[in-house]
Amino acid sequence: MRIGDVMDRDLTSVTPERVIGEVIEILARHRLTGIPVVDDDLRVVGFISEKDIVRAALPGYFDYLQDASFIPDFGQFQSRLRQISRHKVSQYMTNDVDLFEEDDSDFTVAMTLVQHGYIRGPVVKDGILVGMANRSTLLERILTETEGS
Amino acid sequence: MILTVTMNPAVDEEYFLSEFHAGSWFRANKVVRSAGGKGVNVSVILAQLGYENAAMGFLAGYNGEYIRDELRKYQITTNFVHVPGETRTNVFVVDQTGNLETGIAEPGPYVSEEALERFLINYKRMLGRADFVFIGGSLPPGVPQDIYRELVKLARDGGNEVFVDAAGVALASAMDAKPTFAKIDRRYVSRATSTPFVSLDSIIELFNQAHAQGVTCCLTSYRSYGEVFSLPGGVYLAEIEREGVVSMLGAGEALLAGFIVGRKENMPDEERIRFAMACAYEDSSHAEHGIRSRKAVEDLMNTVRVERLQ
Repeated sequence: MRIGDVMDRDLTSVTPERVIGEVIEILARHRLTGIPVVDDDLRVVGFISEKDIVRAALPGYFDYLQDASFIPDFGQFQSRLRQISRHKVSQYMTNDVDLFEEDDSDFTVAMTLVQHGYIRGPVVKDGILVGMANRSTLLERILTETEGS
Repeated sequence: MILTVTMNPAVDEEYFLSEFHAGSWFRANKVVRSAGGKGVNVSVILAQLGYENAAMGFLAGYNGEYIRDELRKYQITTNFVHVPGETRTNVFVVDQTGNLETGIAEPGPYVSEEALERFLINYKRMLGRADFVFIGGSLPPGVPQDIYRELVKLARDGGNEVFVDAAGVALASAMDAKPTFAKIDRRYVSRATSTPFVSLDSIIELFNQAHAQGVTCCLTSYRSYGEVFSLPGGVYLAEIEREGVVSMLGAGEALLAGFIVGRKENMPDEERIRFAMACAYEDSSHAEHGIRSRKAVEDLMNTVRVERLQ
């Protein structure tokens, strides 16, 4: 199955000159973990995730967060988060983004998402954002798809 | 691509009762829940007719999630701004004995200045991918009443054809920006101008005023099951059969979606009108929203009565 036939055609995105505070609001309201960064033509130029934001708010400490015994100082975290909320998205977004084409197979896309630990990834047509591939949706499809179909 | 704008979408809940009157307790025979709002309805019918389209506007809360999921089922591209609160629920009660519909509409969630700014950024970006824009419905609290003027102007400046279906100040402001097509709520215009637009002659006069403003095509509802169209080739009255109508909820938008498809396929005037009216008839012939198939629509085209008035 083509990813173009099973992707989520939602184009929620942000431009590089918007601020991190706006991204946090969009992620919370849309219940997303990350969104593509696009230019005025909807061309994908980056990706910004909650992981990027946490990393920006806790520089140098991010890797310790994987350890349950590490508890960051709340006040420090809040202060830093407020500070970066006024900074531009372009400062913290990931520039090197794995993009999928509409004709890519859903299985290949699912495997790429799993291998890289991505929850969702942008699908493009001629570089223009046309939808998002969601890992959980694809895993569900693979689970329920009948063999040979 | 066709772009639809619904600033104030709704979840439509339609209750079918054997009978209904105020002040009593009733049990519903059937309940139909669906994603609604003019642009959302147009998007769904366009998708059912095989037309790729994108829907945008504002969504909020669980109802907003529900609408987005429904649009996703039809593979409709979405680009909504999510705001705090809850997308409205509109309740409709259908008295199946008297064939009467009663409706209650909520105002919708508050839209802040920041959310509106975000919407406008997305809208300008989406216009680059569109060639036809449909703008319709009421405005939620917080959105300026004359916003449609700006939306129509931006779309027209971008070379798009624009269809507006609105009422009140929203319609009046949209007309300033010269949309290509306008569905005119003549009851509002009657109230605003203290002029009754009831007779066909007065409706034609109303259309002439809209044409003088720069609107190419106009339409307005006439009696319960009719529509008057004023196109460059003439003025037409079209009517569908009353028999077989189950619910008119959403039928108006089915008509507009059919009209847009007729335009896209360069159908001659009369064929376009028949196709649009047949979409409305098919949509209204069952409780579930939307059309069953394009063939089901085409099968009804010959039942539409079309009379050329001018």
